[in-house]
Amino acid sequence: MSLNKFSKLFEELDSNNSINKKINSLTKYFKSSSNLNNILTIYLLIGKRNKRFISGKSLREYYADIYKMPIWLIETCYAKVGDSAEVISLLLQDNLLKKDIKEDISLDQLLNKILPNLSKLEEPQKKSQIKLLWEKTTNDNQLIFNKILTGSFRIGVSKGLVTKAISNMIGIDESIILHRLMGDFDPIEETYIFLINQKLEQKELAYKPYPFQLANTFDEKIKETTSINQYQFESKWDGIRSQIIKRSNNISIWTRGEELVNKTFPELIKIISDFKNDFVLDGEILIWDEIKNCPKEFSLLQKRLGRKSPSAKIQKDLPVVFIAYDILEMNGNDIRSKILSERRNILEEKFYNSISEDQNNNSRKIKITKLLKINNWEELEEAKNSARNIKTEGLVIKNKNSKYLPGRKKGNWWKYKIDPMQLDGVLIYAKPGSGKRADLYTDYSFAIWENNKLVKFANAYSGLNNEEIRELDKWIRKNTLERYGPVRSVKPELVFEISFDNIQISKRHKSGIALRFPRITRWRKDKNIKDADSLENAKRMIRN
Amino acid sequence: MINSKQNLITQKINGLYCESANTWIDPYKPVEKAIITHAHSDHFTNGCREYICSIETGLLLRKRFGNNLNLKTIDYDKEFLINGINFSLHPSGHILGSSQIKIKAGSEIWLITSDLKRQKDKTCKSYEKLKTDFLICESTFGLPIFNWESTNKVIDYITKWVTQSEDSTSILFCYSLGKAQRLLSELNSQNFKNIYVHKSIEKMNVIYKSLGIELAETKVYDKDLEINNLKNSLLLLPPSLNNKNFLKKFKRVQTGFASGWMSIRALKKRSGFDKGFIISDHADWNGLIKTIKESKAKRVFLNHGDGESLANFLRDKEDLNIKQLKEVK
Repeated sequence: MSLNKFSKLFEELDSNNSINKKINSLTKYFKSSSNLNNILTIYLLIGKRNKRFISGKSLREYYADIYKMPIWLIETCYAKVGDSAEVISLLLQDNLLKKDIKEDISLDQLLNKILPNLSKLEEPQKKSQIKLLWEKTTNDNQLIFNKILTGSFRIGVSKGLVTKAISNMIGIDESIILHRLMGDFDPIEETYIFLINQKLEQKELAYKPYPFQLANTFDEKIKETTSINQYQFESKWDGIRSQIIKRSNNISIWTRGEELVNKTFPELIKIISDFKNDFVLDGEILIWDEIKNCPKEFSLLQKRLGRKSPSAKIQKDLPVVFIAYDILEMNGNDIRSKILSERRNILEEKFYNSISEDQNNNSRKIKITKLLKINNWEELEEAKNSARNIKTEGLVIKNKNSKYLPGRKKGNWWKYKIDPMQLDGVLIYAKPGSGKRADLYTDYSFAIWENNKLVKFANAYSGLNNEEIRELDKWIRKNTLERYGPVRSVKPELVFEISFDNIQISKRHKSGIALRFPRITRWRKDKNIKDADSLENAKRMIRN
Repeated sequence: MINSKQNLITQKINGLYCESANTWIDPYKPVEKAIITHAHSDHFTNGCREYICSIETGLLLRKRFGNNLNLKTIDYDKEFLINGINFSLHPSGHILGSSQIKIKAGSEIWLITSDLKRQKDKTCKSYEKLKTDFLICESTFGLPIFNWESTNKVIDYITKWVTQSEDSTSILFCYSLGKAQRLLSELNSQNFKNIYVHKSIEKMNVIYKSLGIELAETKVYDKDLEINNLKNSLLLLPPSLNNKNFLKKFKRVQTGFASGWMSIRALKKRSGFDKGFIISDHADWNGLIKTIKESKAKRVFLNHGDGESLANFLRDKEDLNIKQLKEVK
């Protein structure tokens, strides 16, 4: 029941790529530890909003101060290792006196007492307390201890793995365990008892969202292998995927990131509370343009999300709607195992008709998504190409005969996104990545031409394959002009095709433009920097 | 600057060079006369007119790169003259035969450590402490995150890793020359069902054994071996075999890599090893600092790896005249 034991588990999970071995380790661990210890372990492993007791940066500064090591040297190590907790644990090995008494400590003590008390302390006390804790911790536990401190657990133990282990252990289907893990997560004994309960009681899940169904990327092959008639077509909305749950008098709005956002959208809660029926809806929250009858920019929605309790003015200026595209529960009945066409029927007939009486026409804040009439694959192509005009991300194609299942099930839902916008940019800066990409230059900045000067217009991290990353890393090291801490400026020589979903005017950026989700789609080895795009070109892509 | 005209040793595109003796140290390209510090392939280049090295390095070079090399071998600590410049080779503790090179001209002494290790190693002579005026020291692991644990401990980890996975084949990747033999000199074969080694490792083992170095009992791995026989056994292979194609024929397998680089989890993850064992034939952070200080050198140049950080650190802290050499390779 202890940090020692948890540390050993971590080591086992971290040094086995085999999923079966990981599940075995977890099962063995759960069986031999207390309920409280287990729920705290799950809390740490699945990293569900783990508390950060101290930032990685402060931790590095404390180390520098306590052990009199120049901070630049620690930062160099950090760039190499890519994780603060790991750097500290490696550095400490050299400094900890072996003769100190090392004691084991329960996860409960650590997470519920020692660390919460630590975060309450003022600076100088905090530092000396951390020193004390470091000295008490064994070398073997140092990594895990510092990871708990910084709240950074990414060790390849997903929710899926924990779900599988528990499912294995108690012989209950994974989807039920997954459901039990949805929503709020209070790391207390009761939660664990609930998680491993072998009896199924619908009521216990009352306040929980269902696991979301997700779409796969469109596979052109289905055009040949399946008939278009078996699909339903919807717009792919660019908002916040959410579930609205109304059960008796309880209403909750959960995002796909499993955050409860009732307070962020009080106007939705208010309207829903007037509805007579109970239901669980799956859909999207959007900022709506009533005049043009289409969504507004995603950035406005982000602004809205930033406000935890929005004023009346903000509610008026940034009005939200919820567009439902599926119904998972109607008046207390779980209807996820009904096929989509039946669920759509219920959504239109039972749900939407019933609320039409409750909603006055001027403020239809709860909508249902329209089905698009697409009769052949050419029309699908046209619909995709015109999707940008109605401010959607493309289409979602859903199999009418599919049940609502958790996760990404092949053959049920497909997303068909509009072709991205593209600009060719010149690589000008590079920075090492973190985590798995530590000490590899994988964070890049790109520039385009403004008259005869290159101006930075995008940062991108993803898109190259491992081989290209290694090749580019070598090139960057050889062609560095200057170093600013971890950042290197490089010879402007390489051209890359940068794809993005949207482009907007931005005062915050030097270039005056901001891109949505920029990524590298091709290394243009055929192009010279003179062939890169211009800022003028980029600005022409902006539409209002 | 190391390349100032009056320096005995300078750095050129082809490596470190002693102009007065027209002699190169571990050159990258074929030259007239080369001193080879040890038999790792990144320190050797084919096609030189004459090679000079320690006796053990000579044996290894012949085995790896052919019998017709024009080799001249020299005992450790024995001085020899080239063009009136005084040279001698001294153990660097890196692998069997590895040498530091001491060069004396007049009253001035230069020392090139090449790759070095301060930990004990049963398969080679220990690093010899020497004083010098000018030091060219390696700095492969020149960051304070590199702290080696005792060899015993690592051997213990490896033994447990294998014996606790009875139904798997445990493949431990390691360099064929040096690391493999160091591990075999420490592992107790009685703890394992079998230890298999790749033929490239066996080839080197033969030389070690001929010099009276004791290694654990091994069998040579052959691709025609019944896979089931390898269960619960340890298999030492060179890192080049760490690829999916090769590994897929072992039904249950766990892989590990024995290297100082395994200190960094990201490197382990990127290479796809299940487990990393931190054991190195180079000096760690404290080992490098100790080496530099003990040499009492008035000028220090660092070669390879993170020299820049170590140089900045020691310059600030110890007020040393120290600099990193540029990577020229």
